[in-house]
Amino acid sequence: MIKQSIIENVIEAALSTGGDFSEVFIEDKYVNRLELQSGKLEKSISGRDFGIGIRIFSGLQSIYTYTTDFSEEGLLLAAKRAAHAIKGGANGTIHPLRKEAFNPIHQIAQMPRTVKHARKVEFMRKANEIARNYDERIRQVGLRYIDEEQHVLIANSEGKFVEDTRVHSRLSIQATASDGVEMQTGFYGPGAHAGFEFIENLDLEHYAGEAARIAITMLGADECPSGKFPVIIDNEFGGVIFHEACGHGLEATSVAKNNSVFANRIGEKVAPDIVTYIDDGTLPNEWGSLNVDDEGEKTRKNVLIENGILKGYLIDKFNARRMNAEATGSSRRESYRFNPTSRMTNTYIAPGTSTPEEIIASTENGLYAKYMGGGSVNPATGDYNFAVSEAYLVKNGKIDRPVRGATLIGNGAKTLQLVDKVGNNLAHGAGMCGSISGSLPVNVGQPMIRISEITVGGTKGE
Amino acid sequence: MHITEFQEELLKKAVDAGFKEAEAYYERSESFQCMIFEGEIDSYETSEDSGLGLRGLYNGKMGYAYTEKIDEDSIPFLIESAKANAEVLDEDDGSNIFEGSKEYANHAFYSEELAKIQIQEKIELIKSIEKKVLAYDPRIVTLNYCVLQDFSGDRMLANNKGLSLKEKKNGLVIFISTVVKNGEEMKTGSFIKLTRDFGSLDADKIAKEAAEEALSNLGEQSIPAGKYTIIMRHDAAASLLATFTPIFSAENTQKDQSLLKGKVGVKVASDVLTLLDDPFHPDAVAGSNFDGEGVATKTHAIVSNGILETLLHNRKTARLDGVETTGHAHKASYKSTLTITPLNMFIAPGEKSKADLMASIADGVLITNLSGLHSGTNTISGDFSVAATGFHIKDGKISTPVKQMTIAGNFFDFINDIEEIGSDLNFLPGGYGSPSLRVKELSVTVD
Repeated sequence: MIKQSIIENVIEAALSTGGDFSEVFIEDKYVNRLELQSGKLEKSISGRDFGIGIRIFSGLQSIYTYTTDFSEEGLLLAAKRAAHAIKGGANGTIHPLRKEAFNPIHQIAQMPRTVKHARKVEFMRKANEIARNYDERIRQVGLRYIDEEQHVLIANSEGKFVEDTRVHSRLSIQATASDGVEMQTGFYGPGAHAGFEFIENLDLEHYAGEAARIAITMLGADECPSGKFPVIIDNEFGGVIFHEACGHGLEATSVAKNNSVFANRIGEKVAPDIVTYIDDGTLPNEWGSLNVDDEGEKTRKNVLIENGILKGYLIDKFNARRMNAEATGSSRRESYRFNPTSRMTNTYIAPGTSTPEEIIASTENGLYAKYMGGGSVNPATGDYNFAVSEAYLVKNGKIDRPVRGATLIGNGAKTLQLVDKVGNNLAHGAGMCGSISGSLPVNVGQPMIRISEITVGGTKGE
Repeated sequence: MHITEFQEELLKKAVDAGFKEAEAYYERSESFQCMIFEGEIDSYETSEDSGLGLRGLYNGKMGYAYTEKIDEDSIPFLIESAKANAEVLDEDDGSNIFEGSKEYANHAFYSEELAKIQIQEKIELIKSIEKKVLAYDPRIVTLNYCVLQDFSGDRMLANNKGLSLKEKKNGLVIFISTVVKNGEEMKTGSFIKLTRDFGSLDADKIAKEAAEEALSNLGEQSIPAGKYTIIMRHDAAASLLATFTPIFSAENTQKDQSLLKGKVGVKVASDVLTLLDDPFHPDAVAGSNFDGEGVATKTHAIVSNGILETLLHNRKTARLDGVETTGHAHKASYKSTLTITPLNMFIAPGEKSKADLMASIADGVLITNLSGLHSGTNTISGDFSVAATGFHIKDGKISTPVKQMTIAGNFFDFINDIEEIGSDLNFLPGGYGSPSLRVKELSVTVD
């Protein structure tokens, strides 16, 4: 993308004022986004993102600059502008660049750029038909298709020189149902670190059908009562609760500065024995997977909690310094515009032994969250909140009527202690996670789990 | 390649390639950001970047493409991509490129004074704020964010119908999140300020406000769940308004995605509610003289005393509804297709202070912060159920902070249930503003 000799000069210029580590991240990304609304293809846009991020460390100080000026002169100017922030000190050591080859874990069969738009639209139309035909009360269906082909080159003063291509494909379906008075929506957004083969093999009947079914179900739903109940959260995207409630608190971003309830607690029991929590960027072609992270480190399977005991954190190169620990292949950034930091990839609760039927049958009075919406967390306190997109009351061990407007709130560290059932049906769901290094594709996953008590906020009152 | 040359050549080649009309939209920006941790610079970031989007009418359909690589090679990429994108669209929706408004306002969104402030001076300010917050009270543990960011940029819109518009903007943001602890109880409070007036930033005042915001949350108590009269503080009210602005978009009413369809001229909110959109409001910092299509912007009343006066339009939705565009075409960046958003939408202030709004409430809740707005709200149904931070109001006064809550309701009911509006109008950095509001009731659940 850019000549190696120029990259070497930039690495050197970045260290000219006393920095001890420098890195160049070059990104060249092609994007296609299409939108179908009311059965019509209304939007289609293509683009090319191209830019360079330069990072310097000087002890516990991190300096970052980015530019879209790819001329040697522009790049050297950017490197010097960043280096200017460091005052004095000896120049860091520069090792000659050694190109690292690796066998990509995530095979791409069909590059999306080689596929005509019309072919992409065919699948959008099919999904649209399925959702429309589900029920006459489905008034509106919105489809969003996106593909991205991101080429990165990462080189640093330690001699690292890695190139990688990441391909992402996603189709999101939003169905809106109306009975003339109120409107409700259902959403499903499958995605993968894969080419167009992912879209071709997608079970559209399932995904578009579910989006429509959720909207229709919620249309007739009662308002959700408020109170403290046992809550059963179904598998797949249900894992978003642990993503927020505990995953963010295990990122070095908050651990390194003791801003997390999980800081300095390795080896401690933080959850019941039945809880094992893993982040694994190597799962083949999963939405949150990568061959190498955005510092060029190979991704790996990081066990964070094993049988209830805190085993590890997600650590990037910079926070590794403050924590005096090793990086874990978890450093990510949305694009060259972001200073990378520790982030999740595919994070999940490992399967247990209970069957979903057993879990429901053993719940006398509670809430069953079949599909979760998004949520957020305050990493310093661990206080989280979530929306439930499809919820039901559970009565005497049976799923009762659907309820809408359920929100779950609580504290991550406390909720983790209250997991009392872990099912055997692990599955993963695709989402976007927003944090300081931007918005990233991540998978959240879990089998069905039960939490003995969560505060449920609803519109109906107690 | 110089940008004006690039734009000219792109427009010319696009026309040669069969585009009937074409527009080039260019943005360039620079930024500086610095985060302080325990007296030291923890992170320091600078940037300089640019990108360009092509929008053009090909066989009656509007094609889009963009690039951040501005060189000769990108011209064929833009033209071919925009063509392919136009071809796949279903039908000619009547969109076209705008020849220009008669007159444009000449409001300044750029401060020369701010541009002259040296990096060192900014670093000293943010360092001194951190020091003052940490020294303010022994219960302050740390600042998990203590950030100063400034930005400047310009945008240029040019098309082959002779329109050529330019605008410069800059601004500076301070963001602080303070962590406080008392025994086992840990709380945070955040402070954010966007300004173009560096001289107005007083480290003592900012530190006090940031520290007090977090400290006030200590000593939480539980209150019974139920329906409470609510005081929605200005910033919480503005964030709720911001989340629900898609309901005012004509694009959404035309697609059956907003319950305000067919409601222009109808009473949709409480008599006390007047909702304005003023691209030039002096307190808002954000704003613009022209919209994403190049239409001159102006002030509009969206709701007057509860009556919906207009929806937000771009040229396409206006034509479909048989009205004039309101100048709300929005291009989030050169990467985006056109959408509709307000510029500086705000609730017109009333006369009472926040304390006066509370004075007659025997048992109520003051909400100071909402979280989970991206997930706990449904702009189509209007339902919301979101996490909230706030205080118990007892006998007309703030009594104690309340444990984490959820508040639930429906936005369409909420705007009807506004009883009184305060005088403390305040804008969020995104351009949305509100005074504090007194609302009849919302469902409150406490953790």
